[in-house]
Amino acid sequence: MADLMLPESRRCNNFFLYDGSKVRGESDQTREGICYFYPEETPLDEQELLCGQLAGAGRCVSELSSSPVRILNLHRHKFAIRMEDEFFWALGCSVEVPTVSVCELLDQLINLFCFYNGSVRQSYQLNSQETLAARWAQYLSHLQSGSSELQHIFSCLKTIDSTNVDPLLLLKAALILQACQRCPLVLAGCILFRGRVVSTQMSPQLTMKVMVHESTTYTKPQRPNGPSSSFGGAVSSTTVFLTPSELRYLQSAPVNKDFSSHSTPHKNTPLKKTRLSRTLSDTPSSTESEPSDPGNSQSPQKLLSPHLSVSSMFSQDPSQSTPNPPPPQPLEPPLSNGKHSPEECPSPEALEESYYHSFHSNGDGGSQIDNGGDTSAGTEESHDHQVSEEVRGRGSGIVPGHKVERSDPPHSDAFEHPGETPLIPMTLYLHRVKGLVLALLVEPHFLSDTASMEEVYHSSLASLNGLEAHLRSVSPGAPGALGPYIFAHFDCIQSTLTSNLSGRPGGAPEQPFVRATSLLHSHFCNTETLQEAIIRSAGAAVYGTRSVAQETYFQQHGGSLRNSGIPNHQDSAFSLPGKARHRLLKHGVNLL
Amino acid sequence: MKCLLISSQSAEVLFHWTDPEFHQNVQDQYGASQEDGHGLPAFEDSISTLFAPIIISCITMVDRLGDSYTSFTTENNHIYVLHQFDECLYIAVNGDGEEGEGDLRRKIYVMKKMIEVKFGMVTLSSILLRKELRPQDTEQRARLWKHLQSLLETYCHLRENDQSFLVEAVERLIHPTLCEQCIEFLERRLVQQLNSSVERAGEEVLHAFILVHTKLLAFYSSRNASTLSTSDLLALIIMAQNMYPSNMDQDDPNPEDIESTSGSGPESFYTPEPSPTDMDSRSSDMPVRESTPVFEFVDPDVQMAEDSLHTLEVPPPDPSTPRRVFLEVSLKDGLFPMMPHSMYCLPLWPGITLVLLTKIPTSAVAMSVYTFLEAFAKLEKRLNEGQEGSAATRGQPTIQDIRSKLDKFIKALGASEIQSVQLHNVWTDFKNRIGKGGPGFNRELIRSCKNMKTQLCGVYRQCFLIESGTADTPRRLSPGLQERAQTMVQDKLMDWKDFLLVKSKRNITMVSYLEDFPGLIHFICVDRSSGQMIAPSLNITERNTSELGKGPLAQFVKSKVWNLVSTTRRYLQKGYSTVTLRDGDFYFCYFLWFENETGYKLEAGDIPTLPDDSAPIGMLAWDYYRKLLRYYSKNHQGEVVKCYELLTVHLGVIPTEVILQHCRQLASKLWEPSRNPLL
Repeated sequence: MADLMLPESRRCNNFFLYDGSKVRGESDQTREGICYFYPEETPLDEQELLCGQLAGAGRCVSELSSSPVRILNLHRHKFAIRMEDEFFWALGCSVEVPTVSVCELLDQLINLFCFYNGSVRQSYQLNSQETLAARWAQYLSHLQSGSSELQHIFSCLKTIDSTNVDPLLLLKAALILQACQRCPLVLAGCILFRGRVVSTQMSPQLTMKVMVHESTTYTKPQRPNGPSSSFGGAVSSTTVFLTPSELRYLQSAPVNKDFSSHSTPHKNTPLKKTRLSRTLSDTPSSTESEPSDPGNSQSPQKLLSPHLSVSSMFSQDPSQSTPNPPPPQPLEPPLSNGKHSPEECPSPEALEESYYHSFHSNGDGGSQIDNGGDTSAGTEESHDHQVSEEVRGRGSGIVPGHKVERSDPPHSDAFEHPGETPLIPMTLYLHRVKGLVLALLVEPHFLSDTASMEEVYHSSLASLNGLEAHLRSVSPGAPGALGPYIFAHFDCIQSTLTSNLSGRPGGAPEQPFVRATSLLHSHFCNTETLQEAIIRSAGAAVYGTRSVAQETYFQQHGGSLRNSGIPNHQDSAFSLPGKARHRLLKHGVNLL
Repeated sequence: MKCLLISSQSAEVLFHWTDPEFHQNVQDQYGASQEDGHGLPAFEDSISTLFAPIIISCITMVDRLGDSYTSFTTENNHIYVLHQFDECLYIAVNGDGEEGEGDLRRKIYVMKKMIEVKFGMVTLSSILLRKELRPQDTEQRARLWKHLQSLLETYCHLRENDQSFLVEAVERLIHPTLCEQCIEFLERRLVQQLNSSVERAGEEVLHAFILVHTKLLAFYSSRNASTLSTSDLLALIIMAQNMYPSNMDQDDPNPEDIESTSGSGPESFYTPEPSPTDMDSRSSDMPVRESTPVFEFVDPDVQMAEDSLHTLEVPPPDPSTPRRVFLEVSLKDGLFPMMPHSMYCLPLWPGITLVLLTKIPTSAVAMSVYTFLEAFAKLEKRLNEGQEGSAATRGQPTIQDIRSKLDKFIKALGASEIQSVQLHNVWTDFKNRIGKGGPGFNRELIRSCKNMKTQLCGVYRQCFLIESGTADTPRRLSPGLQERAQTMVQDKLMDWKDFLLVKSKRNITMVSYLEDFPGLIHFICVDRSSGQMIAPSLNITERNTSELGKGPLAQFVKSKVWNLVSTTRRYLQKGYSTVTLRDGDFYFCYFLWFENETGYKLEAGDIPTLPDDSAPIGMLAWDYYRKLLRYYSKNHQGEVVKCYELLTVHLGVIPTEVILQHCRQLASKLWEPSRNPLL
């Protein structure tokens, strides 16, 4: 188990997904249940040992307590556990990492998977284990990539350093996003620059999910331009799955709220009238090109557009809101098709490629997929497209009658179990301008709505180019010498972290600060009434304070740390709150 | 929903304790299959079956991964803490949110401590301990388990309600003149008389102390006795409380109280609510219990729990029979853990107890056994580390050293009534083996070492655990002598009795501090070098209103204090010796510092960082502070280092500077008796 004890500061030491339903009988081997194990190079018998023991003990405990296990501690490791629907996830970290953070990481990972793949059970029915293993690996490496120890503690969004950037640029980014939202098919968006958030309209959790796709496509070679695309190769899209509460959050965003009150009276009027693109050039022909799903008597817009589904949702008979209503179109044909002709089954790479199919993929599949320039690639592309269409169709059948939507508390995201709740398929649209990416969550049929797409594309293109040029010219801002103090400021609402440590490689001097911060953060998380704390060890005195919206940690260097530990009001440790208030003002942190 | 289970590696239950809720839960899960009776085997079997997969998985993980489970937490916040001592796996469960992971780990360590006090060095041999904890005879087993269960419940009750057990330090009654008189009385009159009596049957009183509830009125150690460690003293107080529980809450028979605490195991026995389990367990222990009210209410679940333990009416043992306890002794030539003593617990009045600790005539045997055990353990360790057998034995003098001693020891045993044939054989075998060499020699020698250890523990067991003294020559202070001692102290304290009982509830009160420390709500001050603490009393029963008022507010402050202690322990565990917290409307402070003998404040030093699953910080089960002092003293050679702790609770509106000034004043005043007008 050497790899269980890796000294490096990787956030996660082990991760696995184990499917208990595959190991039922006496003769079934543990390995059959292992869906994914990280690190992948772990010898199989070690994988089996860990999966078998942890899942077994976990199940035993959960039976005794009639509740799934959440945390499992060993002497040298701690595991966040999730047990759901015969699936058993475990994510192991070093014991130094706060327990809350480990649990958060596992939730993030599972939610990421569900965001891009839909329900786990279904994904494993539709896709090969290898394909999905690659995805787990991808998500895992994304979550671990390039983050400092502080970021491990807070699991925050990576944002651009706003102190270095002209605020007008941020305003501009926000305006681009608002402009895109004029198209009613666009739910919300965010703008990213080199893997960091510039502006977002989505919740931090959702933004984090969206960023994974951005970062993976960013590292891929730019695709050759599709011939017909007036958008260049810069535009791509993929199907994503939202939880009901995420969708509701998007719908309740101020922009949309305003919009939905407008549109409710019009809900039966033709769609083009709901267009509110006043400033963008509205091409009336665009609505004609809207696809009409032949299998669906209802227009997909009617079911899926947020403002309409909300109103129709409540009118549904609850008895119809079974988790599995008969889908408008059976899933079987594409599935069995794939099963019966394994030779036609796309290789994992091809499937992945096609999964992130470019816009206008049907135009010329051959040229689109890298080096796969034969006709079969084209058919696979369309085949995949077909599958996702089916999923979409099915999803649209579920949405209106979904019962979970009615009662979810607003902040239930962390406790939402995507494996149980039906997920609503949406589309993630990406427009890349060099290092800059505009990511929009759009209604699925946005893709086939050429006019809307062109509208969004062209309206934002110039602004994006301009923004990119400006951001590129911003110097990264040299990390100045470590000042006489260290601080970390975590915005709980936006999940952003500001610190004069960021960008610095982890070193010995800030180790005491990071340790204290980790302890205090856990304490804050577990004690609602705790407002501020000063803790002192031989090496450092750290002050922590929090409000509903933020957590701030501060350590002063220098000064005499020599003290007897006896209470003394002249002790420098107790002047930390005052110093923090004073010093942090210039970082835009107001503790008054 | 609470449970504590001790299991062997083969998943055999060595001890279990469950509260009625947990019991019910197990019954529910097993109800269907076990309908034909709820006898002892049924419950024991079902609990063993339910936990078996965890136990086996735990063992597998140790074997194959070298790492094992320390805790589980479920989504509904049930906590399971696991800890393995040698071959015994302890599992503590909480499902009602009343205990955290730290509390459960502490409970496990305390349970182990109580077992050590009860069985001494037998705990060093897992084979013997297994037999000891799980006697073949079901009747005997039920009796033993009930005794251990009630000890555990007593401890839990004290930890939840008594500040001295919260911080694990002894609380003295603050009444200097009376204390002095009593100590003098114990020294000049009592102990002297006892030790000069012929009726003492070779026993010698080493320590004598008077407890008022859990607080110490007077403590006297004879000149040739070693100091009694805080850990042992706290364990003895638990045992005394278990025998003669002081019903602190008894004087307010508020029906609501009973209702609110019913169902929670430990509390139920102190409130007059009857938990038959507790009563029966105590019937063997406490002759005075009759004086306490007995309620006829029997909860069906509790009834079941009782039935399942298959209680047979065991005649209570002779109250004059002492308890055998194994305590640490520090002598010039070293530290000897788990040396046999006899403990006489003599009730003076309800709530006031005289405790005598005597040295038994054969205690020298225990010292020899310990020396031998240590030598073999060292050798075994060396062999396990891979040293060549011959080198291991030759390179270290101990085996050669003890060779002749052990020969003599065995010879002496042969003359006594103790069966030592096996020890003799194993020793001969060992001596033969040592000369040899060759392949597999190390492994053989390790086995031999183990064998020797088991045999030595066996001899120890025969000497000190089995009532060897037959009916005609009982080895103990004669009942008459005990009675005389009891009467003497009763006479002495007769006039003080009522005062003492009240004083112990209101030892010091916040009233005396309010003027000097406005805004101060509560404090606890602990001298870790002597293992003593001072804190204003926190009585929160309905009738006895304290300065905190009564009912929910007092309860709230109490829960804050309890939380503060566990929070600061967590920070101390990670190396933080100063903590201040603004929590709701309160401001909490915690300070730990070192002083030398003259009161000079020493510079704050580095405090070791411990892992999350390390032994609990405290003095009862594992003396953290003794280790801390030793660690800190490394840089202060030749100086006596003392360690103090102060916890305060203030109103949050008081300015921080004032709070810190208060803390400083408290810290300097509290331990200086001359300048102690406050006490």
